[in-house]
Amino acid sequence: MLPFVKEAVQQLFSKPSTEAYPAAPAPAAPGYRGRIVFHADRCISCGMCERVCAGGAISTTSEETEEGTLITRRFFLGSCTFCANCADFCVKNAIELTDDYHMVARDENDLVVTGTYLKKKPAAKKPAACNADEPESTVKPRDDGLPVSDPAKCVYCTLCAKKCPAGALTVDRKEKIWKLDEDKCIGCGTCHEVCPKKAIIM
Amino acid sequence: MFKKLIDNAAAKSPWLYHINAGSCNGCDIELVAVLTPRYDAERLGFKLAGTPRHADIVVVSGPVTVQSKDRVLRTIEQVPDPKVIVTLGSCPRSCNVFKGSYSVAGPLDKYVPIDVSIAGCAPKPEAIIDGLALAAKILKEKREAKK
Amino acid sequence: MEMAIMDIVKYAVYILIFPGALFTCVFGLWLAGVDRKVVARMQKRKGPPIMQPTWDFLKLCGKEVIVPANAARGVYMAAPYIGLASLIVTVLFIPIGGFQAFGSAGDTVVILYLMTIPTLAMIFGGSASGSPYAGVGASRTMVSIMSYELPLILVLLAVGRAAAPEGYYFTFSLAQIDVMQQLAGSFLFDWRLIPAAVAMLLVIPCEVGQHPFDVGEAETEICEGPLAEYSGAPLAAFKLSHAIKMFVMTALFCALFLGGVTTGMVWLDVVLTLVFCTVVTLVCMTLLHAVSARFRVEQLFKFFWTVVSGFALVSLLLVWFC
Repeated sequence: MLPFVKEAVQQLFSKPSTEAYPAAPAPAAPGYRGRIVFHADRCISCGMCERVCAGGAISTTSEETEEGTLITRRFFLGSCTFCANCADFCVKNAIELTDDYHMVARDENDLVVTGTYLKKKPAAKKPAACNADEPESTVKPRDDGLPVSDPAKCVYCTLCAKKCPAGALTVDRKEKIWKLDEDKCIGCGTCHEVCPKKAIIM
Repeated sequence: MFKKLIDNAAAKSPWLYHINAGSCNGCDIELVAVLTPRYDAERLGFKLAGTPRHADIVVVSGPVTVQSKDRVLRTIEQVPDPKVIVTLGSCPRSCNVFKGSYSVAGPLDKYVPIDVSIAGCAPKPEAIIDGLALAAKILKEKREAKK
Repeated sequence: MEMAIMDIVKYAVYILIFPGALFTCVFGLWLAGVDRKVVARMQKRKGPPIMQPTWDFLKLCGKEVIVPANAARGVYMAAPYIGLASLIVTVLFIPIGGFQAFGSAGDTVVILYLMTIPTLAMIFGGSASGSPYAGVGASRTMVSIMSYELPLILVLLAVGRAAAPEGYYFTFSLAQIDVMQQLAGSFLFDWRLIPAAVAMLLVIPCEVGQHPFDVGEAETEICEGPLAEYSGAPLAAFKLSHAIKMFVMTALFCALFLGGVTTGMVWLDVVLTLVFCTVVTLVCMTLLHAVSARFRVEQLFKFFWTVVSGFALVSLLLVWFC
């Protein structure tokens, strides 16, 4: 017991190791994953974040307006595990986890991060003159009815690979490879439908 | 004058009672960290109470499993008024990753109103101090609203 | 008639203000605050403000009082206040810097009886609450009473023997003990009584229910034992009694071992005694709290009936034969 007595008396006359937190700011450690910031202008509506979210914290609502579809993405921090899967999978880096840890709320809405952006109506509905300005795709549809990707449009979001019922598509985001296994493909057209950039032609 | 003194005291001496409603132990460890010398919540008057009867703030962590639901509600009922219910982490607020599990009866706000939610998985001790300080403020408000 | 009124006023002041209710509460809460602050500093923490026990007390006064359905309501509600009242009465018998409100020939015996009442009140209140934790706590508190009563009696006998006037075996009057110390110097510096002083220093935390000996109110094991079901004002009364007990026991130590230190002015003597009380608190309660873990029930009993009683008995024998 005597060494403890010595320690206790020593501590009594030395500075406490307590941090002054509420009085002084305490920055989070580098790499801390805190409050989500959503850059709505970068989003391409691929829906990858919603798919990979572990806690089911991300939801999307859309509203039809005259100019196009108004899409609102909602991140509920009260259901978030801060795993940063959404930020890792986002092709356009539209999701960011900041080092802000002050996530305390009396009201549930204080824990919600939202972002709204306008998805313009497809160009086809516009007058034909405008349509002519767009560069014509260099990739031609295949004769056998199987899908083909336009590298100029593809952002390698891997959504088509996830959706493919036959598992015929391999997409590598880092290497920028879009590969089709022709033997497996059943030509269902799912990839064509889900592609957020309309890069797959059939 | 005496009432005002007691009202002020309510914010200065909030005692905590911690319930683990099926938590993964992450938030519980962070709550214990708040009581260690580094953060020392006692300097703000916080104290961990042994029984719900002594508590002012009920801190719930975990997604409220089927097994723990009755016990959690019974414990919360035993806390004398004025009381404040704080959810620690994402689980009691929304069940988090356990959403939809057969063994989860949460989230907590299906049964009792939540006064303060501290988000994070698990929250940083500083965030917990923020949340508890807010809870102490609410305690004073509730006390002032009485009579 | 006028004399009677003056006496009534005088005793009313004694009981209600100094050294009775008001002063005891304030100083007790201050002592408890110092104890908590210094324990925190010894553990390298910043610690709560000195006023913290006062805020705790005031807050508890404003909380809802819950009486469990299976509690014996009368005993449950009365017990804390009986304990508090008996403690305030105890203070009146203890000389603070030579100032004693009520003196008698049997002070130490009266104090011995009065000091058991708060602990008994806790046992009765706990048993009346109907909680199993309180049941366990009450039985443990009984063991701790039995543990510290024997050495406490031996200490009081040893001091009583040392202070006995010519022709008597013992004295039970604290005033006589004070007079003897003014003649012969403080008993703390009497080599025969040093073991008794050590025993008393160990009895104090047990009587108060402080950390290494708080088997009855073990917060982490049995949810503060007898207090498990209490809330609101009765709990505040128990917390206040705990704080006052710190003052009463340290003041008793000062009266027994640190008497006879006089400056000639009563108020200065009182202040000096209060400083001594604080120092004794820091030595026997705060330091012990910071450096030790809780005893088990049977360890506590064994420790007090062998080591502590042994110290007190050695003192008694030395005083008797030397």
